[in-house]
Amino acid sequence: MNNKEPIVQMRKVRKSFGKIKALDDINLQIYPGRIIGLLGANGAGKSTLLRNIIGLYLQDEGECITFGSDAKKLGPKELAQIGYVHQEGELLDWMTVRQLISYVSAYYQSWNRELEEKYIEDFEISTKVLVGSLSPGQRQRVAILLAIGFEPELLILDEPAAALDPLARAQFLDLLLRIIQTENRTIIISSHILSDVEKVIDHAVIMKEGRILLDSSFDELRERFSQIRISALSKELPEELPFENVVHCKRSDGQAILTVKDCPREIIQEQAKSLDCWVEIETLPLEEIYKIVVS
Amino acid sequence: MSVLTVNLKHLYQRRGLWLVYVIVVLFALAGIAVLFKGPEVGKGRFVGLIVLAFVVGLLFAVLPIEVLSKPFSYCLPGHRKMVRKFVFCVGIVFNIFGSLLFFVYPSLNAGQLILVICSAFFAGLISYLIGGALAFTARNSVAFIGFLPLIIVAGGFFDLHTVLERVIVENPLVIIPVGILSSCVVWVWLGDEGRARRYCNVPWAGFDAWNPAKMKKISRIRMAGKWDKLKKYTSPRVERFFLGRMNRYDYVSAGRYIWGALYAASVVLVLQWKGILSFVIILILMSSFLGYMGAGAIFVFFFMPAIIVMNMRLPVHSSMMISGGRRERFAGTITAVAVATVVISVLVAVMTALSMLLEIVIPEITFRGVNFIYHAISVKHLFIPLLITPFAFVVRLIFYRKPIYVISLLMFVIYLMTVTGIVWYKHLGAMINLISIIALLVLGWGTFLLVLRYVCMKRSLAGDG
Repeated sequence: MNNKEPIVQMRKVRKSFGKIKALDDINLQIYPGRIIGLLGANGAGKSTLLRNIIGLYLQDEGECITFGSDAKKLGPKELAQIGYVHQEGELLDWMTVRQLISYVSAYYQSWNRELEEKYIEDFEISTKVLVGSLSPGQRQRVAILLAIGFEPELLILDEPAAALDPLARAQFLDLLLRIIQTENRTIIISSHILSDVEKVIDHAVIMKEGRILLDSSFDELRERFSQIRISALSKELPEELPFENVVHCKRSDGQAILTVKDCPREIIQEQAKSLDCWVEIETLPLEEIYKIVVS
Repeated sequence: MSVLTVNLKHLYQRRGLWLVYVIVVLFALAGIAVLFKGPEVGKGRFVGLIVLAFVVGLLFAVLPIEVLSKPFSYCLPGHRKMVRKFVFCVGIVFNIFGSLLFFVYPSLNAGQLILVICSAFFAGLISYLIGGALAFTARNSVAFIGFLPLIIVAGGFFDLHTVLERVIVENPLVIIPVGILSSCVVWVWLGDEGRARRYCNVPWAGFDAWNPAKMKKISRIRMAGKWDKLKKYTSPRVERFFLGRMNRYDYVSAGRYIWGALYAASVVLVLQWKGILSFVIILILMSSFLGYMGAGAIFVFFFMPAIIVMNMRLPVHSSMMISGGRRERFAGTITAVAVATVVISVLVAVMTALSMLLEIVIPEITFRGVNFIYHAISVKHLFIPLLITPFAFVVRLIFYRKPIYVISLLMFVIYLMTVTGIVWYKHLGAMINLISIIALLVLGWGTFLLVLRYVCMKRSLAGDG
């Protein structure tokens, strides 16, 4: 497959569960090598979208193409390139962890035993115990191992860190960073823990009520949204501040914090010169960007 | 609103109880109807609701246990003492209605009538409290209801209902003090503060047995606590067998997925061979008992496939990612279903053969003037499991997220078919021939294949959640 061709293409995809529109007119293209953060509140349609990509759900309308095939016709060849970790952590409870790894690995030609051993050690996974007796965090570690053990081209992580404790979450993020640094792999990670996602993604897709509100590279996003901190040097701040596209403003005791959208830094700096104030321009954290977009 | 009132609201807020109400009301109406049909003395017709009080106690004690098992309820004011108030409140109201039936008891003067009604009330309360106490002491108390028909039939056989009626009517001065004393004992016992601590955050299914997510969570918690017992079920030999078969095929070949699906679907049964052995022994015992039931013995032919189908893991719906697509899930499911059908057929064939052998040695029994003759299960009925199995799989595929629908529908159909089989045994016998059997089998399995194909190709295949 050509590197410039998207590995996932969704065109006008709609999916409803009864009266609830889970996906509403979704158009999305995912290019190889990207680390995409799929962000949204619970019920925004993130899991439905991911399940459509791998063909577990079928859309009511529109088209979903994964690795060049219609998602509903994905076969072993295409699915062997996709790793998927889902939030429920469904595994075969009556097997031991070792047996489960052997069972799942039997489906993948590219299963990497060295990598498997390494992750078992890194994640401190006990392989002799029954899967059913694992805690939610341990189950999720096993699920992650099963999804990355065959080095998939596309790794789909649906709320992967939600059940992990802070230490395991940090380990998991380190692992993700290592995968990203060493391999040119595509990863879609859905999460509502935005501070975690922020560290790894290079592209963000924000969803609300089944619709995509924003689909942009992370760098572009950070350029589009800025925070300006203004402190009066000698007198009170002027009533009207000379900045354009202000989406949020908070003033108190000679200080103001402004959030501006679609205003380049050079223009902000130019506009700030007219003020007799100390002005600091900062990049907005993802959480703040998310709040602005969804509101 | 008092703590008790809040908890009593569960009586109509819990949907699971609505089914219980329907069953209890049906039994109560049957009990009342029998009474008004002929209020004869000494026939045991007045004690229906007193026996039913046991079931009510067993079921309704589950509600406060459910509340206690919620971690937050431990800290809620008044909830630790709520249990006994709830139990007694429901029990007193139910048994007032139950005892009022004795108003129509013939040939009693006013004084005797009051005493008998009080006696019936306390007898009912004792029965109710025994049920309630059982709910608090046994883990799966609701399962006792399964034995109830057997207890009722056995009780009826030994005339226990007439004995109970006679005791209530003839010995009110014994029943009333015993009732008061047992109520006091249970009141003190249920007031134990340590009970709330013991139940706090304990996995408790209660009336949520149809909630797969909750049941799975409970099963995981219990499994985690029973690791030593469970680890012996995992067998490297079985694993080697299935993985060996899988590895004979290419990575994109259907053979690999078929063996994989078989491994995931059936190995849990293979590994738990001790459990299966117990199941087979129970079936053999059942077949020797059912032989005395004549036509009723075919009940087991309906029931067994449904139980096996309910407990099977089908590879259709699963969010656990392996590289098999929809076609592979279809092929894997067909193979797993075929194997299950063979297992079911072998089991019923073994049972039939055993019943034929037992027919030679089991004698005719005469008990209380009734003759019981052992009949072997007829070979003619061997097709019934093959007919029930595809139907059970279809129901399972359609309502895979709603186990309560699967159980209810299967039970209803099995009950209907069993009753039809018994009532119209001779007429059905004339209608059943090779052609009609083949037509029914083709129809059943054809429907199953169409539904499976539709589900695999057109529906959501996500598993839990």
